[in-house]
Amino acid sequence: MQRLVQGNEATFQGAVRAGASFYSGYPISPSSEIMAEAAKYSASHPEFRFIQTEDEIAAAMSVLGASLAGAKAFTATSGPGFSLMQESLGMGYMSEIPCVFVDVQRVGPSTGMPTLIAQGDLLQVQHGSHGDYYSIAFYPNSVAECYTLVGTAFNVAEEARQPVILLSDAHVGHLYELVDLEALATGVEVLPRALAPLGGHTRHFTGLISDDNGVPRTSDYQVYRRWLAKVKERSAAVAAKHPLYEYRPNPRSATLLISFGIISRTVLPLTEQYGYFRPIRMLPVLAEELREVAKDYRNLVVVEANDGQYASLVEQALKRDVARVPVLGGKVSPAEIADRLAEVIGQA
Amino acid sequence: MSEVRTAPRGFEGLIKRERYPHTWCPGCGIGLIFNNIIRVLSEKGLDYSNTAAISGIGCSGRMAGYMNMDSVHTPHGRALPVAEAIKLVNPDLNVIVASGDGDLASIGGNHLLHTSRRNPDITVFCVNNETYGLTGGQLAPTTPKGVRTITSLNGALHNPLSMQKIVTGNAQYFYARSTVYHLDHMRECMHAALEWPGFAFVEVISDCIELHGRRLGFKTPHEMIATYGEKYVLAPAGRTELAPNELGIMTKA
Ligand SMILES: Cc1ncc(C[n+]2csc(CCOP(=O)(O)OP(=O)(O)O)c2C)c(N)n1
Repeated sequence: MQRLVQGNEATFQGAVRAGASFYSGYPISPSSEIMAEAAKYSASHPEFRFIQTEDEIAAAMSVLGASLAGAKAFTATSGPGFSLMQESLGMGYMSEIPCVFVDVQRVGPSTGMPTLIAQGDLLQVQHGSHGDYYSIAFYPNSVAECYTLVGTAFNVAEEARQPVILLSDAHVGHLYELVDLEALATGVEVLPRALAPLGGHTRHFTGLISDDNGVPRTSDYQVYRRWLAKVKERSAAVAAKHPLYEYRPNPRSATLLISFGIISRTVLPLTEQYGYFRPIRMLPVLAEELREVAKDYRNLVVVEANDGQYASLVEQALKRDVARVPVLGGKVSPAEIADRLAEVIGQA
Repeated sequence: MSEVRTAPRGFEGLIKRERYPHTWCPGCGIGLIFNNIIRVLSEKGLDYSNTAAISGIGCSGRMAGYMNMDSVHTPHGRALPVAEAIKLVNPDLNVIVASGDGDLASIGGNHLLHTSRRNPDITVFCVNNETYGLTGGQLAPTTPKGVRTITSLNGALHNPLSMQKIVTGNAQYFYARSTVYHLDHMRECMHAALEWPGFAFVEVISDCIELHGRRLGFKTPHEMIATYGEKYVLAPAGRTELAPNELGIMTKA
């Protein structure tokens, strides 16, 4: 049955559908509804474990512990909390712990503009923790997609044995749309756990580089290189199974708009005039798919709520100039975007 | 020719001997604490089949990795939230934490406040060597006032943190203090902690001879450990708080 559902609520419900049985978190706008949903759900489903921790460091570490103990586990936060979670993400990558982190973005840096929309955490998702690792991130632009993509994130986490990021933003998180969650639920595939739960074995899960038996090998470059090559290859192979995007060609136009999250909804009316590409898998960047689509356009313009983060990734991937229409400070105005677009295309 | 028989080293099922030699310096108190944790686990029938060990970072934080059971070596200071979540997901698993004072009470201090308050049924063994051993002997929040370290050349300026006060500030608690000089007492505390149905914290005063003790003028680990025999006394019965030089177990159900 269709009913009005909020994006954040759909994210929580989709996680449960995907098999999640653990949530830990610390309140922060605009993600707090996910935590409230988790608290509400755990009150009537004791098998679903919930903990409100003292900070986002503990929330993120709890997710790692819970995953190791056998639960599909996740947390949700926004920029300031996501910054605090970088340490846990690092351990998740190094110790190969499947889990899902949801980042409902707001304007940063620092406390920034707490309730206003931004998309400025993209490069932090890619490189926010120290060292080399290979992020996988998805970004819905509708309530229904919040529901389905969080499930994809959980499955990818198990297959790739790493944290997976579900990006969202203040508007996608707070969007209400008519959806039929039961109908959506029937299409969801749920993968089993990749890891045997703690207990009954003698494994060692460490943030140090270690060999296959969990023995730290902190001064052997070969062990490190083998490990990095292994996770790089696995991460890329699993991500490649999910080349998710939406493309609306416009053969009459020489310009392709690239946009995602709530901004992609804002620019939809402009598809009369321009081609439109919406990456859903944000990371790793859809290089091949973009290259194929971009062949047909002279101008590439990324419209995003930050100062050109995805544009720089597209430039890097395609080795082509990419124009930028930044939507800054939480002010999303279709008229302003259209004007600015006309300007940058005029300059091209 | 008579058959040559090798004698077992003991606790075969509980220690990952294949990882030896371990990382600790000769004379370091962590060895005594590690061995006594292992002995107590053995006496209690705790092993890989029913127990997981969690450590943070530091010399003390290497303990979990030598235990022959599933173990987690978390980032610095984060053993408690990881341990608490594991216990929440699998209440049937015994969860023990073994780490240092810097790890548990400095960078992990906020977690100590809150995990102890939430009172999960986990047992924490804290090596208090009053310094950051692994990083070379810097000032720790547990370093007594006036004590010189490589980052407090004129002596620590501030009074040390009381882990006892943090833990016993809660409505329910188990807090014990012992030292590497008082081995029977140390084991008594560990046994009682493992039996406690809630958050149990055992602080063991220990020596870091190489990176702290020698700078303080101790020639041998024995000399340093012997001072614990002089300084620390058993708390008289009926105490509700241990004085800084007292050993004992403080509980409130
Ligand atoms: C986030 C972070 N900061 C700093 C360090 C460096 N570091 C490693 S161990 C340690 C101190 C450990 O002290 P303690 O817990 O008392 O253990 P000990 O080595 O004395 O046994 C520090 C500061 C680190 N690994 N991670």
